[in-house]
Amino acid sequence: MNPMDLVSRLVRSADDEAHEDADVRTDGGTATSERQGSGRGFLASNRNLVESLPFWLPPALLVGLFVYGAIGWNVLISLTDWEGLGSPEYGSLDLSMYAQLLGDDTFIIAFRNTLVLLIAFTVVSLAVGLVVAILVDQRIRFENTFRTVYLLPMSLSFVVTAIFWSWMYNFEIGMINQLLRLAGLDFLTQQWISDPQWKMAAIIFALMWQFSGYCMVVYLAGLRAIPTEQYEAARTDGASTLRMYWRIIVPQLRASTTSAAVVLMVFALKAFDFLYVLFGDTPGPSVDILSVMMFREAFSTTNWAYGSAIATVLFLMALSVIGPYLLTQYRRGDL
Amino acid sequence: MTDDNQRDATRRSVLKGASAVGTAGLVGLAGCTGGGGGEGGDGGSGGNGGSGGNGSEGTSGGDNASDSGGSGGGGGGSGELELVHWWTAGGEQEALNALIEGFEEKYPDVAVNNNPAPGGAGSALDAVIKNRVLNENPPSSFQIWPGEALRPYLDSDVLDDIGDSVWTSEMQDAYLQGPKDAAAPNDTFVAVPLNIHRLNNLFYNTSVMEEAGVDPSSISDPKALLDAMATIEENTDAAGMAQQTQSPWSTVQLWETVFIGEQDTETFKSMVESGDASANEDAIKSALTTVKDYKEYFNQDAGSISWDQANSKVINGEAAMIHQGDWAAGQYRAQDGFEYEQDWNMVAYPGTEGVYSIVMDSFVMPSNNPSPEATKKWLQYAGSVEGQQKFNPIKGSIPPRTDVPTDPFGPFLQSQIEEFKNSDTQPPTIAHGTAVPPEVKTSIEEAFSGFIENWNVDRAYSGIADAISGN
Repeated sequence: MNPMDLVSRLVRSADDEAHEDADVRTDGGTATSERQGSGRGFLASNRNLVESLPFWLPPALLVGLFVYGAIGWNVLISLTDWEGLGSPEYGSLDLSMYAQLLGDDTFIIAFRNTLVLLIAFTVVSLAVGLVVAILVDQRIRFENTFRTVYLLPMSLSFVVTAIFWSWMYNFEIGMINQLLRLAGLDFLTQQWISDPQWKMAAIIFALMWQFSGYCMVVYLAGLRAIPTEQYEAARTDGASTLRMYWRIIVPQLRASTTSAAVVLMVFALKAFDFLYVLFGDTPGPSVDILSVMMFREAFSTTNWAYGSAIATVLFLMALSVIGPYLLTQYRRGDL
Repeated sequence: MTDDNQRDATRRSVLKGASAVGTAGLVGLAGCTGGGGGEGGDGGSGGNGGSGGNGSEGTSGGDNASDSGGSGGGGGGSGELELVHWWTAGGEQEALNALIEGFEEKYPDVAVNNNPAPGGAGSALDAVIKNRVLNENPPSSFQIWPGEALRPYLDSDVLDDIGDSVWTSEMQDAYLQGPKDAAAPNDTFVAVPLNIHRLNNLFYNTSVMEEAGVDPSSISDPKALLDAMATIEENTDAAGMAQQTQSPWSTVQLWETVFIGEQDTETFKSMVESGDASANEDAIKSALTTVKDYKEYFNQDAGSISWDQANSKVINGEAAMIHQGDWAAGQYRAQDGFEYEQDWNMVAYPGTEGVYSIVMDSFVMPSNNPSPEATKKWLQYAGSVEGQQKFNPIKGSIPPRTDVPTDPFGPFLQSQIEEFKNSDTQPPTIAHGTAVPPEVKTSIEEAFSGFIENWNVDRAYSGIADAISGN
């Protein structure tokens, strides 16, 4: 018999109805399939609306003004030609700033770097987080200690980690090159954060160090939500450890992966602080990303409209990451 | 009221609110980064505090910004003098406090509201001031580099002419031409330079130089320095030149100094002012090539340290010399057992004798001034013998006025003052904002951020050329 069949049968008999129409929630949440009662009258729901006003209206207004209002205003500015310390002219709006972006080599490079950072950083962090989570999940001793140790870097400010990593990557006295020299691998020592060949990789590694702990926690919660019967069933069927994880456990971590990936990607888009602390507002073509370029254009050269156009591009990128996620969540009825 | 006006009014009120939040965040961020070694800048702070101290500075900066942003267009009203500046580290803070104390003694009727926006070389102050000027809620006076750094403010006409009220003929006579040009980029005086740092210095560790058998004063031009550095690396364990290439500004200032050393001040000025680099293509490329050749003698970890870390390599003998503004001397002064002339010394950068490249800070009078009378008094005081005598010895800079008594200054600054008074030219600088508008400066830094990665002279040249022509 196919092991998958057995597993699913076991699961069904173990906790029958709960999983009838919903996937197993593996990201640590509890599934609520209850829908709001449709039997209530219009009047009652209207009263509910009025009674709940004080709770949701103030935050809705504040968020509307400061988040969505600011986004809209930013888009509006990006359509003007505003620069310098005068007032923007809202009379003639056009897309000239966006046209200028397309012809700007700096923008093309920064855009490419942003994508590289986004994808590489997310993939690497997820992979490391998953491996560490599986290891920590082996009922090891001092599990809590390990979990804290791995998660701790995330609680540090970027100002701290950026300076810390600039020490780690120091060519002469940095930990990384010193370890390589100690191991007799002198030929591997590199100018990690000044050689354009390694700069981006070094940044991604440092960010991965800081964020894989977060992925670990998300994955660990996902792993814990998978019933132990599945492990036992797979074992009974003689699946190897690798096969068990690859075929049974990892596929069930899809929800954890999605939610962690979204957080990581949105973060990668704004990985401003780390680069700014290391290199200032001109980090060099190999690691220049859109958020740094946006700051440079807006606040160093007072090209407000141009900076706003970059900000809009960044916003659209963030939206294209978050949008599909929100849509699937909505379709599943989780929102 | 027309539709347009109404929209304008709402826009402005939204702007105020939003910018209060925005600047608070920015200042908090930049305040944390500045002193921590990211950009470093010309603070002259030496090896100042640890990161803990910087963190708390950042927070207080944020608070200040939100306070001032939140107060809206009303302004101070009370006639108090609000000063915004970035002098928050060690010696520079003491220097400003001395200046403020002197001012308060002289004008007891003016209350000073000392409102710093910390962050290396004004990285945070810039955003705060720009937002407040846009909101038409400027402080009484703020710190800024004079010269072309004022360009955005002049283009928008937000600085008052202080030619009659502050720049009396007595004061004009006391300033040399270079600083006066910087105070009046459009030929009307709008700024009062308070202090001068020299950029074209070559500091060196005397014992390393002696061990190597190199006499720095005999090096005649920037290219000859290469031979000297080769000798140093041959005869000692020290690196020829300490340098930081983590952020581009140090390499920008090295390049512009080499440019003046290989050409002259006139050529330098015509290059930055003409808006056309092609006439000086060979000169620009030659200076870039020289800097690229220097790279072989930099400390190997140049890419991952800040300027003050590079400077300490000169102190502990790991490097023979460093090109840096004379704020670097503040670090030597703070180091016990590292004495001027015995342990360290300085010559004008080879090829730039008689040149005093000036890095200045100044105060200005923004329009819509909340306290016009008090601001005038403040600017007069900053331009007075008394004010500059109180401020500069502590800051480690020299006074722009040539009639300030030299007794309170140490031997090094006294010799700098002497060289300043006898200098033939006082060119502005690109890296420190006096020579080019901020936009050009940023574009040049961008070109150099590529140069310190790939050391490609042609690509750096085309970046510089585009920057200067404003493309």
